Amino acid sequence: MLQYWIAILTEAAIFGVLALGIDMIWGWSGDFDLSAYAYFALGVYMTMVLTIGKPSPPVEYILGWHLPYLLAVPITIIVVIAFASIIGAIALRTLREVYFSITTLGAVWAIYYLVENFTPLFNGYNGLSGLFDPMGGGLSYNAYHYLFFAFCLIVLFCVYLLVMRLSRSPFGRMVRAVRDDERAASVYGRNVFWTKYRTYLTGAALAGLSGSLFAAYIGAFNSLDWAPTEIFVLYAAILVGGRGNPRGVVLGSFIVYVGFVEMTRYIPSPAARPELGPALRQILIGLLIILMLRFRPGGLIPERLGTDGSQGRRSRMRSMFQAQQDGHDESVATAHADDGSDS
Amino acid sequence: MSGEVLLEVADLTKSFGGVVAVDHCSMTVREGTVVGLIGPNGAGKSSLIDLVTGFEHPDSGSVRFDGAELIGLRPDVISRMGLIRTFQTPREWRDLSVIDNVRVGRSKLARESLFRSLVFAGSMRRDEAVETSEIRQILKDYRLDDLRNDRAINLSGGQKRLLEFARITAARPRLTILDEPMGGVNPVLGERIGEAIRDLKRAGSTVIVVEHNLPFIEKTCDEVVVMDVGTVIAEGDFHDLRDNARVVDAYLGNDDE
Repeated sequence: MLQYWIAILTEAAIFGVLALGIDMIWGWSGDFDLSAYAYFALGVYMTMVLTIGKPSPPVEYILGWHLPYLLAVPITIIVVIAFASIIGAIALRTLREVYFSITTLGAVWAIYYLVENFTPLFNGYNGLSGLFDPMGGGLSYNAYHYLFFAFCLIVLFCVYLLVMRLSRSPFGRMVRAVRDDERAASVYGRNVFWTKYRTYLTGAALAGLSGSLFAAYIGAFNSLDWAPTEIFVLYAAILVGGRGNPRGVVLGSFIVYVGFVEMTRYIPSPAARPELGPALRQILIGLLIILMLRFRPGGLIPERLGTDGSQGRRSRMRSMFQAQQDGHDESVATAHADDGSDS
Repeated sequence: MSGEVLLEVADLTKSFGGVVAVDHCSMTVREGTVVGLIGPNGAGKSSLIDLVTGFEHPDSGSVRFDGAELIGLRPDVISRMGLIRTFQTPREWRDLSVIDNVRVGRSKLARESLFRSLVFAGSMRRDEAVETSEIRQILKDYRLDDLRNDRAINLSGGQKRLLEFARITAARPRLTILDEPMGGVNPVLGERIGEAIRDLKRAGSTVIVVEHNLPFIEKTCDEVVVMDVGTVIAEGDFHDLRDNARVVDAYLGNDDE
């Protein structure tokens, strides 16, 4: 049982890193990106081909290097950034909103079918396998999984600290200003494309890192293990936790991955319909998104407002709560307007 | 009163489809003046501003700001040269706090580098703390200090207008272009906006104001430029222009308000 929990929590930590990356692109920058799961998958594949060594026929894939895992991770991230820089350059230049989303959706399906059907790349739909014990050192099966869980938690924590620092920095503020009004941001000297592009590539880098962790976690990966639609689970996690708030995003990842994996485990799947369980999981996630949007659109821990820094923690919480209430209530905003400017 | 030429628009033309919005338009603005840009609806005032600030590209002509050609530059590049504009509606950053709206106006771009934001977070926080008192003084001047930690979207229409001025004051531009700052504003607030424009001038900014409210123009502006059908039809002192037959025609003959 403990092993089972360790497995689920490891997965939640890995997807927490991915969710933090996607939240930078969607929460901070406002771009509803649908290709992030491809960056994640590319991260998995790249980590594999950099570490598992030469292929033996009929298996075929590129590179086939035998690098130490910890060296493969940064190379993977660089490759993912390079790849995202192409898609980002196309999608972010002039496209916004639904046009941006459709472009990134097209990109992710193109990549998906390319990987599945072009065998020399990553061995087609049979996928890759053979990444075992990436941390080295002849530990027992259980001990290794505990160690790897600890490693994932440490990585998640470090990523969280960096993202949090960035979120509260002048850079994070500028990204949100660009999100809220691009024309006003360019009137104040901000290069809209470059701001969004940098955020996009940082988010993609985190997706690549997350993929590297996932490669070490599952050891084998093929196109059945990922589908572009998986990204909606991550969007659910971000919505539940709090779009734009790294703390909320980590919380949401654990709630969705731990909570939903648990919940759906007990849904009975008749032998004749083994697809019922996973289908119900998708439906429940859809329901969760709808309920969150209806009753708590800011998420459990909403985006933090930048204040003058003179307030204590408690009053900051209070103003956060108020903002959550006001922000989505038109009548309050109008009542506010009646105070006029001469108050 | 009249310093060096700061902005020089020469023979600017722009058409949208078959409509010539700006037609061989030329004008000059001297440093340190407040210029009122008036004319009936559809005269091309807003199009002219879009061309000057890089949001539209002209078919021909040139715009020089302090001697440098602006045509072909992106809006953010033009802004960094010291030219800031507003739009007909206030454009606050809705989900930023009021104080952060002004901070973005003030902030230097170097500080917003991704690398520096990650590595030098501590020293940057200290820089920002130093600026806070200056920014709060600006907010106090516009009676927004009590609202500084509120979400900008929650401000009233009039407060959003004042927030625009607070943001401009913080940015310290050399040239400010205001596109109908009095739109939807009550008379009391109108007084305050007139004062804000004089404050901008005192702080060293040259100002161009597009406005339909002629008494306001008379009180606020040093010079007036009148546009009609895409070109400047008169320039000069407000009182001289009142007797100019073409100006009166433009307003009485074409105005569809």
